[in-house]
Amino acid sequence: MRFLAILRKELRECLPWIVLATAVLFVFGYVELFERTIPQNIDYRYRLFSPSNDVYPFDLTKRSLLAGMGQLLLVVSIGLGLAMGIRQFWVDHYAGTWGFTVHRSVNREKILSAKLTAAAIGFVVSIGAIWCLLFLYASKAPNFYVPPAKRIFFEGWVYIVSGLVVYSAAALAGLSTVRWYTTKIFGLAFAAIVLFVMVFQWRLSYAFLALLVGIFVLVVQITQTFLNREF
Amino acid sequence: MFDKIRLIDLMGLWVQISPGSDEPVYVQVAEQISEAIARGELSSGDKLPPVRKLAAELVINPNTVARAYSRLEQAGLVVTKTGSGTYVSDPKLRKADAADFNILTERMDTLITRGLNLGLEQQDLIEMFKTRVEKFTKK
Amino acid sequence: MTETVLESQSLTKYFGKTVAVDHLNLEIPRGCICGFVGRNGAGKTTAIKLMLGLLKPTIGSSKLLGCDSMALTPVIRQRIGYVTEGHRLFRWMSIGRLEKFQRAFFQKQWDERLFADMLEYFGLSKKQKIKHLSNGQRAQVSLALALAPNPELLIMDDPTLGLDAAIRRQFLAGMIELIMREGRTALFSSHILGDVERVSDRIVVIDKGRLRANCTLEQFRNSVKKVKVAFADRAPTEFEIEGLLNCRRSEKELELVLIGTDSNRINEWAKTVGAEKYQIVQMNLEDQFIEYTAPASKGKLFRWEEI
Repeated sequence: MRFLAILRKELRECLPWIVLATAVLFVFGYVELFERTIPQNIDYRYRLFSPSNDVYPFDLTKRSLLAGMGQLLLVVSIGLGLAMGIRQFWVDHYAGTWGFTVHRSVNREKILSAKLTAAAIGFVVSIGAIWCLLFLYASKAPNFYVPPAKRIFFEGWVYIVSGLVVYSAAALAGLSTVRWYTTKIFGLAFAAIVLFVMVFQWRLSYAFLALLVGIFVLVVQITQTFLNREF
Repeated sequence: MFDKIRLIDLMGLWVQISPGSDEPVYVQVAEQISEAIARGELSSGDKLPPVRKLAAELVINPNTVARAYSRLEQAGLVVTKTGSGTYVSDPKLRKADAADFNILTERMDTLITRGLNLGLEQQDLIEMFKTRVEKFTKK
Repeated sequence: MTETVLESQSLTKYFGKTVAVDHLNLEIPRGCICGFVGRNGAGKTTAIKLMLGLLKPTIGSSKLLGCDSMALTPVIRQRIGYVTEGHRLFRWMSIGRLEKFQRAFFQKQWDERLFADMLEYFGLSKKQKIKHLSNGQRAQVSLALALAPNPELLIMDDPTLGLDAAIRRQFLAGMIELIMREGRTALFSSHILGDVERVSDRIVVIDKGRLRANCTLEQFRNSVKKVKVAFADRAPTEFEIEGLLNCRRSEKELELVLIGTDSNRINEWAKTVGAEKYQIVQMNLEDQFIEYTAPASKGKLFRWEEI
């Protein structure tokens, strides 16, 4: 009951950003895919959604149809991650409502998990859903010369999860009002490193691993700081 | 305080608190009630408002009101009947002790000094005092 | 029911090298209205945040309703009402939405009638959004949200800062309403000593993070005294008396501010220094507070000629 009340509040607060991300992704994604299916635009010298292994997953060049989509997904995910991280962990502080939020008859862990759950839901429901829709659209036979490989679907998710890394970094930065130069920069630098590592992975599974390890480390830090009340 | 209907049944009692004053709040309350008794606005047997009611009305701590009533009781101006309330006492039963007379004398001296400094004659002062007492008790 | 609603042992908080709260040893009994006073930056807000478990102390500990501040259980938090500094509320919510949110945490103890009555009294509608309210109106909503759950312990951090006299009065009335119910305690920090005098049973004075006084209001009022002493010849330049806070001297007069010195001792001392006459003058709370927290042996702010 109480957890839901906080979850509802967190979701409602991030709603404008979630809606914006959904709209941007939907519109630009559709346009991007649509453009690529116009007969004039199809370059038959290149495979559209190559299922073979010699197309590197994150090769942001024209060799994969995912190129444009990948960039779009990454940008929107990072944008939403940043927006939500700031909305959940910075705004309360500067607006002075931190005390009102945190002095509640719930365990402190529940408050944090409500925030993190809201972020996860936001990502899945907006970007995740739209990506699934776009992928389904691309998979329908008449739309594409060669239907996309299943692997592309997961590649898209790597970009989406990258957004969660940025979210975690922004959250951690927001929680470090004391000694701010160390922890704020640490979070952001760490996220940058993780994304960097991710981009250079050959295998999808390693890319996911890099991201999940990154998120895990950041979330552990977030939980510690949040429960330690150093702010 | 947030009731829509506010019943003020203080029997014409008018007590004003000035928090910035030198005198503690309970002294102010006690003094003003005793003035009301002296003026006859409250007569013997009248019931003072319950502590909580007066506290809520004046927006002061109930303990302060209780203190004020206590002070009045010590001065013999009121009597508390357990379970019933606080009532103005019978003037015949009031006792003034030496300390009360001292304060009275002191204050009279202050007034007399003032009057004489203004150039009033002895007779003028007595006349003035008489007029004021009559006016006060007639109210 | 615990008899002490709030206690702290050596509660200390450092922000970097600055000490905000310095070894605070506090004990507040149940059933009183306690006024927390102190100059700007004395550490009142930090102390309150520490006691509510919103900040981690550097040294020491504190307890609210018998439970350690760092481990306040949800059940205990439900019994504690908290009005934050500046009455900060979620700006995007409407009053009704905010009520729903707050109410979700106090299902059984929420007084719906009281909340509705208060809103009606203040002339506010549940549809209004917080961001469209003035400071005063937001404060009123804040008060209603804090009183409706009928808290056992109400802690208000400078609730009347910047508010007009009418709203200040409403806050005081709210505290009095609360205190008349059994077992309730209210604690509020304030700069407005008139308010503190009106409603407080106890006064806690904090100066530069340190506890300077924790007693009943009456004790404080009776302790800080001003004594005007007149001399036939020149007033002495050197003398000693316990509890001397401040001293002003003119040719034939001394004006002393004493703390905790009883009248007999003053009498004796007056005879010893050969005073012609002396008078103990009652001070008002604001003057008492100023004298009490004045920096030691510093003169007045503006220069005056020695008489």
